[in-house]
Amino acid sequence: MSSSTKAPAGHFTILYFASASSHTSKSSEFFAAPLPISKLFPKLEDQYQGFKAKVLDSSLVTVNLEYVDIPDTPAEDEFMIKEGDEVAIIPPVSSG
Amino acid sequence: MPSEISEENCFVALTTDLLDAKQIMDRVRSTTRDNFAGKPVKELEYTSYEPRALQSMLTICKAIVEKHSLTSIAMIHRLGIVPIAEESILIAVSSPHRQAAWKAGEEALEECKQKVEVWKKEEFGGEEGGVWRANRDGATGVRVEKGEEERPAQGPHGPILRPKVPGERGHGAVVRPNAL
Repeated sequence: MSSSTKAPAGHFTILYFASASSHTSKSSEFFAAPLPISKLFPKLEDQYQGFKAKVLDSSLVTVNLEYVDIPDTPAEDEFMIKEGDEVAIIPPVSSG
Repeated sequence: MPSEISEENCFVALTTDLLDAKQIMDRVRSTTRDNFAGKPVKELEYTSYEPRALQSMLTICKAIVEKHSLTSIAMIHRLGIVPIAEESILIAVSSPHRQAAWKAGEEALEECKQKVEVWKKEEFGGEEGGVWRANRDGATGVRVEKGEEERPAQGPHGPILRPKVPGERGHGAVVRPNAL
């Protein structure tokens, strides 16, 4: 799985791993930027029915390799996903 | 020339040769766990968010070195298909104190299993398909096939044993890189 997937202008990259990849049948795709972080899960649920309950509710999110909090409700000063960002859905891990 | 004796699953030897870690590890290889809840596992497949996983491994290693006053530590995880009875992870530590080394090794493994962005799919063979494992509670993970609605009542990745804290989504505490 490469993290060098370059998004086209005005877009960000989203990476899917493990159960997130199984559910979407994709390892990555592009979405239009900017996007407030609180809109990410609703947008993904729109696109992939049942994604939230099955995968997202137990997943974390990174933006450019850093973990970010997902607010339950939109806020004035919330984190924005920008053009060119690399977002990843991180389901519960299982190394070893 | 080594002199050796073995009985059942115990092997002992004396040698003047250079000690070969792989050779002695091969002696215990068949004891690796090869089933989950009684179901035989055919093989494991690991996938990773590589740059993120490497960062987490480094953060863990630096914290363990500091905590146990180690001389050094090395950690490697195998990706892709790993046949049963082959190692998926190796951790080596050096330390002036033997006890600290054992403790550090175990702790490094536990930290890795909890935090490193690597995912294991267990392949049972037959029609059942693979299952993404979650390193929590020994619960059965998420079946790979789409469209099956059968969920364990307690949640997608196993029973929830305590209330969530803000920002937590089923992994345990939210990991802040470089803040271990």
